Amino acid sequence: MATTDGVFFTRGDQLLHSTSRRSFLQVMGLGGAIVLMPSVFAACGDDGNGLTDPTDTQYALDLRTDVGILNYAYALEQLEAAYYTVALTSAGYAALSANEKEVISDLQKHEVIHREFLKQVLGSAAIPEINFNMTTVNNLTASRAVLLSTSQLLEDTGVSAYNGAGKYLTSAANLLVAGKIVSVEARHAAAIRDIRDGTNGRLFAGDDVVNAAGLDTKAEPETVLASVVSLNVVTSPLSIGTPANQSLRTPDQPAPAPT
Amino acid sequence: MTTPTLLDTIDPEIVDSLAARSAEISSGASMSSGLTAALALGSIPVALAALSRDVYAQGTLPAGIKGVLDFALALEIFEDEFYKAVLGTSSSTGLNAAFAPVRALAAAVPGAVATLQQIQKHEAAHIATLLATGATNVFNLTATSFDFTGNRSAAGGGPFSEATTNLAFLLQVAQGVEDTGVRAYKGQAANLMPNPTILEAALRIHSVEARHAARIRRMRRAAAGAPPEVRYSGTVRGGERAAAGGTTLGTVNPTVVGQTFDKIYGAGAGSPSESNVIHAGVNVTALAGASFGAEAAQEAFDEPLSRADVVAIVQPFFIPTIS
Repeated sequence: MATTDGVFFTRGDQLLHSTSRRSFLQVMGLGGAIVLMPSVFAACGDDGNGLTDPTDTQYALDLRTDVGILNYAYALEQLEAAYYTVALTSAGYAALSANEKEVISDLQKHEVIHREFLKQVLGSAAIPEINFNMTTVNNLTASRAVLLSTSQLLEDTGVSAYNGAGKYLTSAANLLVAGKIVSVEARHAAAIRDIRDGTNGRLFAGDDVVNAAGLDTKAEPETVLASVVSLNVVTSPLSIGTPANQSLRTPDQPAPAPT
Repeated sequence: MTTPTLLDTIDPEIVDSLAARSAEISSGASMSSGLTAALALGSIPVALAALSRDVYAQGTLPAGIKGVLDFALALEIFEDEFYKAVLGTSSSTGLNAAFAPVRALAAAVPGAVATLQQIQKHEAAHIATLLATGATNVFNLTATSFDFTGNRSAAGGGPFSEATTNLAFLLQVAQGVEDTGVRAYKGQAANLMPNPTILEAALRIHSVEARHAARIRRMRRAAAGAPPEVRYSGTVRGGERAAAGGTTLGTVNPTVVGQTFDKIYGAGAGSPSESNVIHAGVNVTALAGASFGAEAAQEAFDEPLSRADVVAIVQPFFIPTIS
């Protein structure tokens, strides 16, 4: 019987360590609380607001509603769009082959379109634009290898997020919109994985991401946001203000860290 | 801390179902013989297990959800048998022999056979998962229920015959099969909303099919002379047959092959074409800050297909009539 009812993260990269990640998943599976210590955000750089700034509440997602779920998607699309936009002028991109550049260039367009589309759909209910730690983003695009492995993590995480969040949507129209986007994220993930796979032919939907039941990765919003925090790229205080319907939670199978 | 009871450890929905079924039986409904026997033995755990099976045997899945699962199962069996025929692992020796020429061509492309094996493994897993979720093989499909040449005949000879001898043609068909699967699951998702657990499983299958489609597009693009409309990003550009990219219509019946790809990527009854760029009333070619033109806008969103549209696409490959 687990005795833990909470887990504390003092550094974003702790999620990348198996022990803390496991205890995190264990706690979340039990409906426990996650506390991101201020130093997690501090380590991401100062966004000019600070944690006590009133505007920070605008980044707190209310996942009980479709608007909150779409804002969660909007936050992830902002991250992907910002990352690929920087990537286009990076050293990592310059080192890609022409075929590989076509992929990153396509992904940048698609993610920016997703971002602007969700912003338009949400209108005045949209969360503010997210700020990014450009030092980290630059580091994550500095070479072909890190550009591709980060892209894989972002795309797999996108797939896991949409797959885990669809059940919280109450409107069929919103579920359709999410469905139209998630399969494109899955295509992206497969393309990036295939580049990294060479001629092995299996990583596009590898056993690390599709389980024995033939089911793709999925993760609950807390897991996804913790994974995003661990990348140390987001400086805005993105958080879950009100969790999604707890009775609908299912066990996490989050996107694996690229190897 | 209180010790959890047996029922505390069971999903509340299942307990509700058990309670409802128990009430039905109490009020005179008939029960299965296994349950009668278990109750006669006075064994609560055995009775509970029997009652659980009894609940699902009674079909507690709403008809709307059951219908979606049954339809999904038919599509997955179709996909699984198609790849097994290509790989030479079908229980039909005739199908294995028919695909031998293209199998030899695939073996010469690094990674191609591994990809086909990986995809087939997933389709087989989807069948198992759907069956475990309550789907039924309502059309009694077996390996010999299919004619992958599109002639609805065990003798084959249909418009898609070149899939057995021409690797480019085969991959184009496989891409069409996967993209049809993506569109079919997307079209049915809303019907699964009453059961979030099943909806989530379906969404997770949906994205696996999209991964498959993307990898096949990349295999096609890597072949000599492939057009740039087949994106290395694995996404779908355009609508109707143009969205298939560099379609080879074959020699048996080019008209029907072209029309089939028009249906796979085009508009149907109530389903938009893959070339659609209006989503939730928003034109995504004309967004402030995202003006990339129609092609990127088409690629950025996939479209659903209705069940009737999917049936119209796949029926020529099923010997029995499906609906």
